[in-house]
Amino acid sequence: MPSNARAATVFVAVVALLIALPFVGGDYYIYLFALVFINVILAASLRPSLTCGQLNIGHSAFMCIGAYTSALLAKNLGVPFEVSLLCGALLAAVVGLAIGYPSLRLRGVYFAMVTVAFVEAIRLIASIWVPLTRGNAGLSVPKPSLLGMSLATRTSQYYLALVLMLIVLVILYKLERSRLGLVWKSIGMAENLAQSLGVDIANHKLLAFTLGCFFAGVAGAFYAHFIRFLFPPEFGFLLATNILVYNFVGGRGHFAGPVVGAVFLSLLSEPFRGSPYETIFFSIVMLLTILFLPGGLITLPGKLAGLRRWRPTSGTYAPPASA
Amino acid sequence: MTAALLVQSAVIGLSIGSIYILMALGLTLMFGMMHIINFAHGAVYMLGAFAIYYVYFQWGAPYFAAFVLAMLLLGAFGYLVERSIYRPIKGGVEPTLVALLALTTLLQAAGYPVFGTLDKHVPPVFSGTRNVLGVMISVERLMIIPIAGALVVGLYLFINKTRMGAAMRAIEQDKEAAALQGVNVNVINGLAFAVGFALAAAAGALMAPIFKLDPMMGEQPLLKAFIIIILGGLGSIPGAILGGLILGLIDSIVATALGAEPAFLLSFVFIILLLLWRPTGLFGHAL
Amino acid sequence: MPLLQARSLTRHFGGLAAVSAVDLSVEEGEIVGLIGPNGAGKTTCFNLLSGFLRPTGGTIVFGGEDITGFRPHQVAGRGLVRTFQLTTLFQDMTVRENVLLGMHLHSRQGLRRLLFGRQIFPPDEVTGSDEVLEFTGLAPQADQLAKNLPHGHQRILSIAMALAARPRLLLLDEPVTGMNLEESGHVMALVKTIRDRGTTILLVEHNMKAVMGTCERVVVLNFGLKLAEGTPAEVSTSAAVIEAYLGAGLQHA
Repeated sequence: MPSNARAATVFVAVVALLIALPFVGGDYYIYLFALVFINVILAASLRPSLTCGQLNIGHSAFMCIGAYTSALLAKNLGVPFEVSLLCGALLAAVVGLAIGYPSLRLRGVYFAMVTVAFVEAIRLIASIWVPLTRGNAGLSVPKPSLLGMSLATRTSQYYLALVLMLIVLVILYKLERSRLGLVWKSIGMAENLAQSLGVDIANHKLLAFTLGCFFAGVAGAFYAHFIRFLFPPEFGFLLATNILVYNFVGGRGHFAGPVVGAVFLSLLSEPFRGSPYETIFFSIVMLLTILFLPGGLITLPGKLAGLRRWRPTSGTYAPPASA
Repeated sequence: MTAALLVQSAVIGLSIGSIYILMALGLTLMFGMMHIINFAHGAVYMLGAFAIYYVYFQWGAPYFAAFVLAMLLLGAFGYLVERSIYRPIKGGVEPTLVALLALTTLLQAAGYPVFGTLDKHVPPVFSGTRNVLGVMISVERLMIIPIAGALVVGLYLFINKTRMGAAMRAIEQDKEAAALQGVNVNVINGLAFAVGFALAAAAGALMAPIFKLDPMMGEQPLLKAFIIIILGGLGSIPGAILGGLILGLIDSIVATALGAEPAFLLSFVFIILLLLWRPTGLFGHAL
Repeated sequence: MPLLQARSLTRHFGGLAAVSAVDLSVEEGEIVGLIGPNGAGKTTCFNLLSGFLRPTGGTIVFGGEDITGFRPHQVAGRGLVRTFQLTTLFQDMTVRENVLLGMHLHSRQGLRRLLFGRQIFPPDEVTGSDEVLEFTGLAPQADQLAKNLPHGHQRILSIAMALAARPRLLLLDEPVTGMNLEESGHVMALVKTIRDRGTTILLVEHNMKAVMGTCERVVVLNFGLKLAEGTPAEVSTSAAVIEAYLGAGLQHA
């Protein structure tokens, strides 16, 4: 299929550019793009849950769990990075399962409210449990390692982030294109119909949600060893909202949506990262997108092409694409 | 815990509970009519408090004038939000919720450059203490109870005794039928936004002289209000009042015994258990 | 033993009884109609039978098994499949995908197949969906998006999806409402063919003509109670039924 072939070409070209980046860009770009990769993992890992129609406004809580678990295992017990990363992701998934089980059976709004409360609760635990996490004094974290080799340079860490992101994206893409992805999509579109056809919607939602938590845990674990300093307030409600914003600004109608959204917003907000202006920028872009481009950025090329082809005499009405 | 401490926690719980009720009432009213959760409610609370800071403290207007002005201004802002955000989004609940989230983060973040990064304090409006059952309680905290009570009664009368209130109830029952009977659904929804925002502003304005002011100050009361409306059943006004009283009491007793942060954690644990045990809330509103 | 047997089925909303103590049984191979004026409790009845609502009282036995309190997917898994009153479809999917999702029930896929399989749907399911599309006459539109079908075809698609789930008992909620005479005649003929191929049918319908022409037995509900039961001829001459309908008609006028 031509569109698939084109998407594959774009994908290969982008990956080739990313592999080449450390040879042409300086340390700053390496650092920046590694952060972008983390955001891409976070955004993409929220997608399965969103596809099922679950508005999760607490995704950063699972990143937080992954980050602290991995950091503490490596720091206190000397666990190798690959194991601590896996443990962090698993614990995030287990907590996701525990929190998702009671709340996913509820209507969407209840779920959204529970996730908001949850992300704040996790942040509070991280700041109260001082003996373990050092609380708001912050926790320093060792460098990542792989098969016993310490990845000391930014370049090696960059490649690690790239590989992690690609693995996560490929798995999530495969899932979305499988029967499972179609069932998730069907739940998001018409929950009661899916149920009437025998779909156990509670279990499918739980699976989508737990998977997302696992990958958010992966992102968190890498983040911990890359930034090497954990500070509870970073993982609050604001980061969780950002992850949601990546998905909505990028577009929910296509797998590439959250990826595009995360890359676009992370790069454009870079000049004011960490200041209130970053949030102001995110919020305004979000509001404008929802109001004027409900399908997100990925529908922009199609809309522009449509404008160029548009003739006042043509009477065909194209309903807006919705996710 | 001594009896005196218990009485003190109970009275403080009642006054905190009144604030929570003001927050939860708007949320539950808007949910009942439009099936949305107004995440911006906490930011509006914050704006209500800052309105008191500027109008009462900086510009020297009388407290009650500042209080009414805060409610009016933010009520108008609520109507504007309905017009410019809720109404244009035809895409359903999810995009609306995300847009309201974006509004929340926008208002909070904009608070830093606009209000400055230093904590603000509003000097006491009511000074002194009163003896309540042998315990001295500050008048500031005591006054919250009758003022919030008056607002709750006012809302009750508005909803049950006026034409606009009847229109709100009609929309809550059945939007299509209400529209057929000549209710202008858009305007009444706008009114619900205005009422909800004004109540949140009132809550913020009442708390302004008690806590320090910063752009994130609305988050805790918002989360508390979530817990209350889940407790009371979404869309139920009596549920919100009862839920607010219960949470206020639990909160202040537990906070006195354990400290503020563990108290908040505990209320979260409470909500998970509640959802497992009774997903429709304590008073069983339709899910 | 009947295929479906509900005994003193009851559902309260608050203090109001939407359905109270209704006995309902459907024999294998029948077409049974459930009728009644607006608000008589027909849809509530359907929601109870299909597991979307939990009864406050009574039992539901299907195929010899007590399915009271089962969740919707479990009910569907036993072979009791419903359609919805409004055109509830997966609007942004193609007609074929809609039908394939109807087959979800009968598919078994391991995780390996799920992640590394080359096709989303195994060939036997594609064949199965083709058969259903052919049978319902939707084959020419198989690759269109569901939302682009005309209303009548959308209703047929919702029946096709339910059929793909290979039900023993098919619950049709107002299958011909909003259709013209020709369309509703076509759907009712389809319903008869489905029955002749071995699927028992229980339908709720407003269109009296369609019900009387198709159903072998009719159950009349009014105010949540069973008012009458019998052949269409018996029921349409029953004084109580006429009064219920006339009374409702007068209220509406």
